[in-house]
Amino acid sequence: MKIAVAFLAAILLQFGLTASHLWWVFAACQPVLLVVVASARRFDPVGVAWTGLAAGLATDLMAERIIGPGGIAGAVAGVVVAVVVRRFEMVGPLYWIVGSLLASACSELVWILSLVTLGVKPDHMWIGAFATVAMTGAAGFLVAAAERLARAWKSPERRRRRVLRRL
Amino acid sequence: MVHVRFRPDLTIILICAGLYVGAAAQARNPWGQTALSLAVATAAAPAVALANAVGSAWEDFRTGQRSLRATLDELGRLRGDSAELRRNNQLLSAEVGELRQGSRLLAAYPSLLDHAVLARVVARDLLRTHTLRLDRGTAEGVHADSAVLAETGLLGRVDRVLEHSSRVQLLSHPAAAAAATIPGINSEGLLVGGDQPHITGLPPYTKVAPDTVVLSTGSEGIYPPGMLFGLAMESRNEGLFTIVPVQLSARPTEIMVVLVLPPVNKGAP
Repeated sequence: MKIAVAFLAAILLQFGLTASHLWWVFAACQPVLLVVVASARRFDPVGVAWTGLAAGLATDLMAERIIGPGGIAGAVAGVVVAVVVRRFEMVGPLYWIVGSLLASACSELVWILSLVTLGVKPDHMWIGAFATVAMTGAAGFLVAAAERLARAWKSPERRRRRVLRRL
Repeated sequence: MVHVRFRPDLTIILICAGLYVGAAAQARNPWGQTALSLAVATAAAPAVALANAVGSAWEDFRTGQRSLRATLDELGRLRGDSAELRRNNQLLSAEVGELRQGSRLLAAYPSLLDHAVLARVVARDLLRTHTLRLDRGTAEGVHADSAVLAETGLLGRVDRVLEHSSRVQLLSHPAAAAAATIPGINSEGLLVGGDQPHITGLPPYTKVAPDTVVLSTGSEGIYPPGMLFGLAMESRNEGLFTIVPVQLSARPTEIMVVLVLPPVNKGAP
């Protein structure tokens, strides 16, 4: 359920980041891929691939592109992220940063390759792909920082310190 | 009976393959996607509007911040200008004060202008050394033992001279002495300095009316005759002489410009 809510929020955020009053570089960010990364903690690689498929198809729909290559790219990215996270037992900030970079890089690579094999000219090439990887990686970094802060805020140590201060 | 078992891994591969084929079909036969575009635009509109509102608010904030910074910079610059103007104004006021005093001084002694040197007081020590420092020296024609005249009367004499500055020993200096006379009294007295300058050497029981002027006689060879020292105060007898305290006319505390007269005995054999 949380993943579904996050998925919807990410889609809305992805729409919102294209707003003209925001810095134009933000539009390269793909928050839905962070949902794919987040699902790697809960699902097995095939489950993450399904999430990636949904994310990629949603991206295709949002961008009004040919529907399909984005889904394939998302599914492949989900599998790769899930496998790498499990293989290297990533946790904490590294999980988010590496996961987001990997997901965006794989997604962009597979998307470009699939379009090229179809004989379709992609709407962006390496500069756009690089921007997507950079901005999605930056978003992953932000999520990692937020998670760390939240953990520090909710930590039992902090609760104990507060109780001791009141005594 | 055939059992179809759902295998997610195979299903997703099949779906991806299907998507690939579908994408190829879309690439070959592009379709309008009018309904889809409309749906996407409708779904995107609130999110985009919200993000635009946030971005617009942020831009307003940044613009306001820039304006504030520019205003503060302008304020700082204006404060600096104001301080500079205040300093200039003070300097100009002082300059004007000196000029006025100098012109009054020149107007008071028109006959002395040919040989006198107009000098500015650059330093004063009235409590310890009873001296003034002037900005004129030998280079400008100031000599030792020249009489120094203020607008309201004699001030003292030059006791030290450098090339471009000189020092004035005031009449209030304990070692200062000058020949003085009081109109209506035949004998000459000696005006000596100190905390209370006074005339001594007058015959005993000499009657001196208070507020009578005390003038120079020039017999000591420094001060020109007939110049005002000050006003006499209540006289008294001390031993063989009558002592007349003198209220000096020139107030060194307020003097900014003086006239340095040529020495009386300059060039004398």
